[in-house]
Amino acid sequence: MNVIEINKLTKYYGQARGIIDVSFNVGEGEIFGFIGPNGAGKSTTIRTLLALIYPTSGSATIFGKDCIRYAPEIARDVGYLPSEVFYYERMKVIDLLQYAASFYKKDCSKRIFELAEIMDLDLKKRIDDLSFGNKKKVGIVQGLLHDPRLIILDEPTSGLDPLMQQKFFDLLLEENQKGATILLSSHVLSEVQRLCSRVAIIKDGQIIKLEKISDLTENNYKKFKIEMKEDIRREYFEMAGINNLALEGSKVSFLFKGNINLILKKLAYVEIENIWIEEPSLEEVFIHYYEKEA
Amino acid sequence: MNIFRYELKAYRRSIFIWACSMTLLAVLYIFLFKALGPDIESFKAFLNNMPEVVKKSFNILVDSISTLEGFYSFVFSFVVLCGAIQAMNVGTGIVSKEVREKTADFLMTKPVSRSTVMTSKLLAAITALVITNIIYLGLTIAAAIVVVNTFNLKIFFLISLTMFFVQLMFLALGIMISVIASKIKSVISVSLSTVFGFYIIGSLGSFLGEENVRYFSPFRYFDPVYIIQHGAYETSFAVIGLVLIIAALAASYLLYQKKDIHAV
Repeated sequence: MNVIEINKLTKYYGQARGIIDVSFNVGEGEIFGFIGPNGAGKSTTIRTLLALIYPTSGSATIFGKDCIRYAPEIARDVGYLPSEVFYYERMKVIDLLQYAASFYKKDCSKRIFELAEIMDLDLKKRIDDLSFGNKKKVGIVQGLLHDPRLIILDEPTSGLDPLMQQKFFDLLLEENQKGATILLSSHVLSEVQRLCSRVAIIKDGQIIKLEKISDLTENNYKKFKIEMKEDIRREYFEMAGINNLALEGSKVSFLFKGNINLILKKLAYVEIENIWIEEPSLEEVFIHYYEKEA
Repeated sequence: MNIFRYELKAYRRSIFIWACSMTLLAVLYIFLFKALGPDIESFKAFLNNMPEVVKKSFNILVDSISTLEGFYSFVFSFVVLCGAIQAMNVGTGIVSKEVREKTADFLMTKPVSRSTVMTSKLLAAITALVITNIIYLGLTIAAAIVVVNTFNLKIFFLISLTMFFVQLMFLALGIMISVIASKIKSVISVSLSTVFGFYIIGSLGSFLGEENVRYFSPFRYFDPVYIIQHGAYETSFAVIGLVLIIAALAASYLLYQKKDIHAV
């Protein structure tokens, strides 16, 4: 069964493009990644799912119900963590969490204390005294306190230190073990790779690829930057797996996908001054996808 | 119910401050009336020499100035002005507060419909105004009874109560403005300019023709002269006021249902 089904969802802000014909499904119990650069339409999609904004055309269902028409009903089982969290500044953390809990018809106080303990959150402080990272923790507790069946996270890790990020991911995995479905948007590929089983890649408002993470990892791109001792001909790098080849005198850069030994053997035959082998940035992977599409 | 409670709690301080300042203003004038005592007749003669425009604009009722009701009408127009600003602030704040403080995401992803949110907030706002009026009416009437014991309580009460109706009109107007506007940076500048705008329109009566102007300014819907003479409100204006309130609220509900809540 699909928890989320998105069907040709389109949103224009006046003339400005939000998203165009976005379609994908998220199955029950899945951790689904939604990835793309800033401004690609991740938040627009998520905000439409949450009925914060209304689609221009197309539709989406959550738990089999139209996400706009049945928004209040759906919201009972959805936990949402926005990329930037803002709460009523003059409230104490505990008061805010209890106010949040009062919207759900169940007793959440035990879970609030559990989550605050895990996230190391001081419940007695006032919201406006909290740092950005601590506000984010309030957001996490607030999003999870009612044991939601669907957790929607929009750029969740910004502002959290690596230790907290780890705890948070463990928490998410635990929720997932208990049966929660997770939709996670991010512009950081490694973050998505760590958690998700499938991803949708969005660029300029359109889904350009739906892929299993395992496939994405197989497509393990490495970015090579090499300075040669002397100028080299372009033909030398004409081999399978090399993309985005750029030559500038003795400097060469390209993305490589495939058996890493092959390229290393090839490089062993030329005199090299310096070499960098890096994970490509998301943008670079995107550029590659984009070229393949075109 | 939880939204209502939260909202009302947030109004606590402002209710207290507004109600007390308005009461203070009115009570001060009640004392002034008492202090004038027998000199009120010479005061009346002085006022009679003032130009008609000034008298009209400031709600100075020369004929009844020697009674508390008439004297009170003068200061009361300023009290209503304050009340209107308070109501406009509350109304404009209802929706724009959440947008400005970026808490709309929090509220709107909870299992409540937008109309429930609006209704809870509206009821909390009306309750805040009712409490303000109860404090104001209670203290002012008590002061009037203690300081000046000879006056027409019914008229005094009827005049004072008009503040609540004017407030309801500005509340509804404020809500509608905040729903239409995508983002309001400063509530106070919007509410002050709107309220003073209507106040000025209302006082232009002597230039533009009394009857023309009255329909356009909520401040002129309840004429103290008429109330003092008849001991009642003018039905036509009461009805128009009610219709305007309902229309503004209905429009606000409809627009709010369809409004995009934008990311920060």
